Amino acid sequence: MTIYPFEYFEPKELEEASSAFFEHGSEAAILAGGTDLLNMLKANILKPKVVINIKGVPGLSGIEEIDGELQLGTLTSIHDLETSKIIQENFPALSEAASFLGSIQIRFLATVGGNICRAAPSAETAPPLMAYDAQVYMYGPNGERSLPLKEFFSGPGQTVLAEGEILTKFKLPIPALRSGSAYLRHSIRQLMDLAIVNVAVSLTLDEDSETIKEARIVLGAVAPTPMHASAAEKELIGKPATLEIFEKAAQTAAQESKPISDVRSTQDYRRAMVQLFTRRALEKALPRAAQKN
Amino acid sequence: MSLLGKSLTRIDALGKVTGETLYPGDINMPDQAYMKILFAGRPHAIIKTIDTSAAEALDAVIAVFLAKDVPVNEYGMMLKDQPVLCGPGSEKPFAERVRFVGDQVAVVVAESVAIAAQACELIQVEFADLPVVSDPLVSMQEDAELLFPDKESNVFIDYHILRGDVEKAFAEADVVVESEYRTPAQEHAFLAPESGLGYIDEDGRVTVAVAGQWAHEEQDAIAHALGLPLDEVRVIHPAIGGAFGGREDMSIQIALALAAWRLQQRGINRPIKIIWSREESIIGHHKRHPYIIRSRWGATKDGDITAADVEVIADGGAYACTSTKVLGNATLMCTGPYDIPNVKVDSYGVYTNNIPSGAFRGFGGPQGAFAAETQMNKLAQELGMDPVELRMRNVAQDDTVMSTNSTLPKGVTLDKVIESCALAAGWNNGIAGWQRSGESAWPPKITGKTKNHIKRGIGFAAAFKNIGFSFGYPERSWAKIELHGETEIEKVVLHHAGSDVGQGAHTVFKQMAAEAAGVPVDKVEMRLADSAGKEDSGSASASRMTFMAGNSIKGAGEAALEKWRNEERPAIAEFTYRPPATTPFAPKTGESNPNFAYGYVAEAVAVEVDVETGHVNILDVICANDVGKAINPQQITGQIEGAVVQASGYTILENFVQQDGIVKTPHLSTYLIPTVLDVPDRVESIILEYPDEVGPWGVRGMAEMPYLPFAPAVIAAVKDAIGVWFDEFPLTPERVLRGLGEI
Ligand SMILES: Cc1cc2nc3c(=O)[nH]c(=O)nc-3n(C[C@H](O)[C@H](O)[C@H](O)COP(=O)(O)OP(=O)(O)OC[C@H]3O[C@@H](n4cnc5c(N)ncnc54)[C@H](O)[C@@H]3O)c2cc1C
Repeated sequence: MTIYPFEYFEPKELEEASSAFFEHGSEAAILAGGTDLLNMLKANILKPKVVINIKGVPGLSGIEEIDGELQLGTLTSIHDLETSKIIQENFPALSEAASFLGSIQIRFLATVGGNICRAAPSAETAPPLMAYDAQVYMYGPNGERSLPLKEFFSGPGQTVLAEGEILTKFKLPIPALRSGSAYLRHSIRQLMDLAIVNVAVSLTLDEDSETIKEARIVLGAVAPTPMHASAAEKELIGKPATLEIFEKAAQTAAQESKPISDVRSTQDYRRAMVQLFTRRALEKALPRAAQKN
Repeated sequence: MSLLGKSLTRIDALGKVTGETLYPGDINMPDQAYMKILFAGRPHAIIKTIDTSAAEALDAVIAVFLAKDVPVNEYGMMLKDQPVLCGPGSEKPFAERVRFVGDQVAVVVAESVAIAAQACELIQVEFADLPVVSDPLVSMQEDAELLFPDKESNVFIDYHILRGDVEKAFAEADVVVESEYRTPAQEHAFLAPESGLGYIDEDGRVTVAVAGQWAHEEQDAIAHALGLPLDEVRVIHPAIGGAFGGREDMSIQIALALAAWRLQQRGINRPIKIIWSREESIIGHHKRHPYIIRSRWGATKDGDITAADVEVIADGGAYACTSTKVLGNATLMCTGPYDIPNVKVDSYGVYTNNIPSGAFRGFGGPQGAFAAETQMNKLAQELGMDPVELRMRNVAQDDTVMSTNSTLPKGVTLDKVIESCALAAGWNNGIAGWQRSGESAWPPKITGKTKNHIKRGIGFAAAFKNIGFSFGYPERSWAKIELHGETEIEKVVLHHAGSDVGQGAHTVFKQMAAEAAGVPVDKVEMRLADSAGKEDSGSASASRMTFMAGNSIKGAGEAALEKWRNEERPAIAEFTYRPPATTPFAPKTGESNPNFAYGYVAEAVAVEVDVETGHVNILDVICANDVGKAINPQQITGQIEGAVVQASGYTILENFVQQDGIVKTPHLSTYLIPTVLDVPDRVESIILEYPDEVGPWGVRGMAEMPYLPFAPAVIAAVKDAIGVWFDEFPLTPERVLRGLGEI
């Protein structure tokens, strides 16, 4: 457990951070909460020559509603996601996901941007953010750009961030009327454990409050990146929100998932849990949708 | 007023919560250098050559030591089969072989931890791999690859019990229950990974300051390996961050001593420090034995158990460590604390290229108890009899002749612990015998809506566990007491080498020394945890420390008081307590007097199982434990709760995976131990005090006992909940779901 020596920067501006990041290219690492980065340094998985702490950069944190959208700064702590009233009311799956992440100490340090940039297949906040159609904003040498979050991950631990690019914020549309959502995760140990599967779902009902108008089912930990169970989502649309329909969609989601076997469990068990937790999450989201009219 | 039975505040509490107490890793000495140990990293191979030139060429590398630098390159508590360092050049035959991934190959001393690590990477070891033997059943076969070419077989120990006529008894039995059980390896995961210092002390002794369980045994192992007389070696135990048996064998001790000693010979007199990472700790020390136990029991329809035929196979891993004794316990305990007239047990300890197996809380008892108690619970089901009633009909008593053709030491209280636990768990003893009433207040009812995928169940199990070293092993404990003052005793000084591994032993030493000398505790000073100037007090293991230390303190106290009355000032007396002698198993029949004392325990467990996920949630535990005399009741409750927590990890969570000798769970993020959310919601400790005949003030040991019945009680509770018997654990969600046929 010896951390290799590195140079350390605390930029005061986003541009300064980005150009330092660009200048050192793959030899540099961004430090946000550090709850992932420090572990990677200690285990010598990363040996950066330069570490750029972005916590002193203004404007990168905070939860705000602007023009029918929720704006989340990259440095927003997981604890703030968990306890924010706006999020609890409009994006309950996100605050539920936050409540499962690590321990209280970790949640105070860890940031939402760090969770997404680490790009773990099991990242807690990825399924809810994707289920809420989050748009991710990046700042780099060529200025700002944005993408739907589902296009952000390119593999386990990998993202589309280009050299010098820093994730700055997320924007989430405020859910429509008659929308309900939920997050569930299953792990062998109750907490402080990598998920066997995590699921975020969101349902929007038609005016009749029965027919499913929109559906999102996002699975974590069962594919190289967090994934939409697209076929299952499609199956739900235009159907009545019944337990049978949910069960069928859950089966489809299980077939779509691509879990691996490892020391925690086999592929078969993970697939069975995808089905179970998709169904349970849909059952949990439905009454929330029915309430929001 | 007697201090026994009072929950005196732990004498180490303040220092530990304020951080003042120094554990070995916290100690720094002027001018210290840093050590790193290079592990083999492969399970079975011959080391052809080791090239250290690149490592030694680094400026800040002080020395690299190899097998050739170890004068007597061997250690091992029971068999000296383990090289200190593996590699060519020592006189120990076949020491150039590595037999598990954590075999130590080189010791590097450098100016910094980072340089020592870099140097390890620069050491070129040329290996010739050998076939890996990872399955004990394969290892036992005649044509198996031998780990020790100078031995005839990989089976390094076997025991046999033969009493009565088993086949005849089976032929006459009304019911027979037969099962093959498998128990998992377990990592101790004590709080403080191995760390310590090696140096030459002011009297020229080769000294190591480490966390251990038995200073004199470590002293002996170091002296043997370095070819030094005992009094030139000193072992100090500063604060110890947990042990659970995991510090019973050597880890860093000999390497530290070797480095300090060899450097001194080169004119370099510097302390050497090492701290293992968690990952090094997990690879570097032994595990609880995985067992395969094939068990067949027969009974009459009245619930009279008549026969038991058991085969016991322990995966000993790469070296014997304490396996011979662990297997002895399992051999004894696999037929339970019951009156069974016809018994046959054949047990084997087998080498494999897995991490060595060794001491771990319960020491073979948990595996034996799992098989015995699950057999009992299955028999009860077959007979349609209540499991408590079946136990009461067969319970061992003072005059019961056990499998070893001998009785247990007087004062058997198995019936008492079963009764107390059963009554607290809603059983009563009516005309129809022991039965649980439907309206029992235990376990607490669920209020509100229950989900129909959650099933509840309860289970019961009992156990016995020896106190102290068994099977003829020389058992003793030394103490010295000084009484100072003129007309009255103003100060008592206790000298004792027994380790406080975190269990609170030194607090009860103080209580017992005060009692022995008849003074208040604040008059007692203690000189502890250092082999220098002390005789052997034995290890902090086998639930023996309070029992053995208590008897030595009591004896020394009586002798010192005698001198005090004869006007000696100060009055100083030493005393070595030796308990009643025990004997080893006779070769063919297992006849023996294996132990001089036992503790008895019973547990009831309530669980709920999510039949959709397979998750087992342990709700509530009642543990009745006869401790003889509770010197410090709070410490007893702590031990019961701690044992239950540790056993719940063993039973439902901890899954130590080795594949072809490679550890797949080397981190605490893959080897999952319980957090507070995974342990039972409530543990009720029922402390019984039926005095032991030879225990000091009636004390029986108790720290392992509550561990033993836990796994079988949970297995029975899960069966009660979902109707499936599990003969193998841990009960991971996936195993449970497979048992239900859901995947
Ligand atoms: C004990 C423990 C338990 C944990 N439990 C969980 C859990 O249950 N669920 C879970 O999902 N995670 C868990 N984690 C992982 C971790 O806490 C989270 O992923 C956390 O959100 C990471 O945020 P951070 O701010 O600490 O990231 P950091 O460690 O600072 O950064 C993580 C990675 O992202 C990069 N990065 C960070 N911010 C940016 C940015 N703005 N632009 C570009 N790159 C950036 C960093 O360079 C680094 O590679 C746990 C970690 C620990 C130590």
